[in-house]
Amino acid sequence: MNVLNIPGSQSTPSITADWAAGRLVMSGDSYPENSFDFFGQVINWIERYLKEGEAPLCLELHLVYMNTSSVKAMMDIFDMLEEFHGQGRQVRVDWFYDPRNERVLGLADEFREDCTFPFEICVDAR
Amino acid sequence: MLDKEFLPPTERDLLELIAALLADPAQQDNPLRSPLARLLAHSEWQRERLERLVRISDGYQQVARGESLNLAEQYDRQLRRLEKLARISDRYQNSLREMSEALKVAALHDTLTGLGNRRFLMERLKDETERASRKGLPYAVGILDVDHFKLVNDRFGHEAGDQTLCKIADAIQASLREYDQCGRWGGEEFLIILPDTSLVHAEQVAERIREAIKAIALDFSDSALPGVTASIGVTAYQPGEPYSDAINRADNALLLAKEAGRNRVELAL
Repeated sequence: MNVLNIPGSQSTPSITADWAAGRLVMSGDSYPENSFDFFGQVINWIERYLKEGEAPLCLELHLVYMNTSSVKAMMDIFDMLEEFHGQGRQVRVDWFYDPRNERVLGLADEFREDCTFPFEICVDAR
Repeated sequence: MLDKEFLPPTERDLLELIAALLADPAQQDNPLRSPLARLLAHSEWQRERLERLVRISDGYQQVARGESLNLAEQYDRQLRRLEKLARISDRYQNSLREMSEALKVAALHDTLTGLGNRRFLMERLKDETERASRKGLPYAVGILDVDHFKLVNDRFGHEAGDQTLCKIADAIQASLREYDQCGRWGGEEFLIILPDTSLVHAEQVAERIREAIKAIALDFSDSALPGVTASIGVTAYQPGEPYSDAINRADNALLLAKEAGRNRVELAL
């Protein structure tokens, strides 16, 4: 399945993945009961997208709160992007934060450390 | 064939001597010549085997060494990841904790005046009532209502009204003793809780508050308004009664103060 469309809930972010556009968007809070199941499908989608095609991938994040296992899953995703970036694949992350919550800026910056692919942290105008 | 250049000198000399003997025409019929030639070939073959063994063994060692380096590297990387994970996670946790602290403060405080709100006052009343029944220490409560507050609002607007309430809150707080509590009970009503205080002493504190409020200078006021005053009803909590009884008594005293012309303190026994 190339379609991934998960509506957000109180404890899980909404996820929309557009295979044709090479874009995966995640928005909201993330503290799922089972992070491995929840992020498993996201990681699978990204992995298949990167393996089956050549087109660039952009990850657009509007995440606010994350529990520890979500942070871990996100680090795994970034590691995978890093690996493909090392092989010459075009990948990027755009991390949007609400200017009323400056803390997310620092957190995104912490995530960005060790990533050599383009990783932008920008104010969310939505 | 081995390169004899690399052999130790004594071994090389011996091999050269044997080779010379085997080539010597004078030794062609020597019965030892044939077994010696075979022995030499055998020795060469064994040396080659040994060399191969060493090469293979070195190869294995190389692989093992590489694996161990790789494991150490992986371990370091996992350790760094774990540290990063903990760092990020701690930050999220800290922001949650701070948010919950802020919510707790917000839940118990009046946003306008910064004083405790009704919920805060109820908790204090519960605490004081418990202390009073446990230790037999009576406390006093006062209810304060701003006189003709509606006039201020109507004439100068809500912003002026809010400003007045803030100044009154400051005046009350400045007139209290260290362990006294006060908060906004609602609208223009304030509640004062005076722990371990007799009615006589409570009256003195209430009078001090009344004077302080009367002395407030209002920026927006004109000659038409004589300034702001408040009426206060005070009572002492009676051990054993629910605190709402004390509040009701203070409320009745407040009504008396209003009826008697406002800007006064009335006591209820």
